[in-house]
Amino acid sequence: MKEKENVLDILVRTKKAISENDVVTMKLLSNRTIHSSSIYQDPDNIAVAVIVYALGKIIERKKYQEYKEWPAFFSACMASLDAAIAAIKSDNIEQFRESVENIREAIELLSGHLRSYIEEVFRKASINKASRIYEHGISMQQTASLLGISVFELAEYAGKTGIGDVDLSITKNIHERLKTAFELFE
Amino acid sequence: MARKILIFDSSSIISLSLNNLLYLLEKLKKENILFLVTEDVKKEVVDTPLKIKKYELEALMIFQLIQKKILEMPEAIGVDKIELEIATSDILEAANHLFMANKEWIKIISQGEASCIALSLLLNKKGMENVLVIDERTARMLCENPENLRELMERKLHTTVSMNKERIKELVGCKIIRSSELCVVAFKKGVLGLVNGKTQILDALLYATKYKGCAISFNEIEEIKKVEKAV
Repeated sequence: MKEKENVLDILVRTKKAISENDVVTMKLLSNRTIHSSSIYQDPDNIAVAVIVYALGKIIERKKYQEYKEWPAFFSACMASLDAAIAAIKSDNIEQFRESVENIREAIELLSGHLRSYIEEVFRKASINKASRIYEHGISMQQTASLLGISVFELAEYAGKTGIGDVDLSITKNIHERLKTAFELFE
Repeated sequence: MARKILIFDSSSIISLSLNNLLYLLEKLKKENILFLVTEDVKKEVVDTPLKIKKYELEALMIFQLIQKKILEMPEAIGVDKIELEIATSDILEAANHLFMANKEWIKIISQGEASCIALSLLLNKKGMENVLVIDERTARMLCENPENLRELMERKLHTTVSMNKERIKELVGCKIIRSSELCVVAFKKGVLGLVNGKTQILDALLYATKYKGCAISFNEIEEIKKVEKAV
């Protein structure tokens, strides 16, 4: 795992933010692994970014807490976070990965609407994080494969961001590019 | 008549397909114009989305274009599969050993993008005129202005990003357009089949490609509209 100290700090702060219902902090924390996710493309950092972002969204939606399965799901997530923190502290990366995987497994134990809602939150969290990595200069297809999403999903999401508007992205005069296109079909 | 070849990356096919504009490829196809997709791109736009309910229809429609030979595989023009695979590996190796941050090479592109660049450079060597159609930003910047890409990464990653200048020459030499420019050609050729106001059609087309992932800026769109208005 890359940048272990950073991941540990993010998880500790995430626990605190959850207890304070501070979803803004959780969104900010989820972005703190984007730099390392882009450079090292380390699955552990990427998983943490997705989980923290998704948990922020889940906490934000109070409606989910009305489902009878909510308390068990929430407890399982908290226990997994605690276990992940303890695993990093004791330098047990395998145990950390198992704890992260346990959050996914807690979703699979859900049923009905809550399960679909939460699955959707996690899927959207993956797309959101993919878009951030793409924004950092990693290609669309490389990013999609890192996050396990399709290029279609990333393209749809990235199109709504300002990625194409960054001044450095303009690598050729538009007139020249149009000329190239027209010459092909003369 | 000299043959002209357009090589489509998955991002450009995706923005056409999500906008229901794949029919433009049929309208623009001519005997001397070939539209190619590599096996790696086919995986991304057909094989993978066929397993995702949300994009299954798009995948089927793209596959139909392959079946109708509107989109063809490189073998159609005699490109050897193994030769392309080797060239793709070389491009992947060069592109993913170009930028370094925190003593780590950054993997910036994948097999799909690499295969398109490799095919384009391979055809250049064979003297076959070709243009890449790429909507996603990184591969385009990599081929056209790697220094801009380095600077962008440095800005975003808040750390020094160095560039292995020795490897740049292995990646440059591709001509690139986007689905937006292809749509402008279709618009000018009057093959869209829309009858509303001329200016509005162009505006709608360009923004549609942008919002489905084509890395084109608002300024570029407005510039295109100005040029076309003046013509």
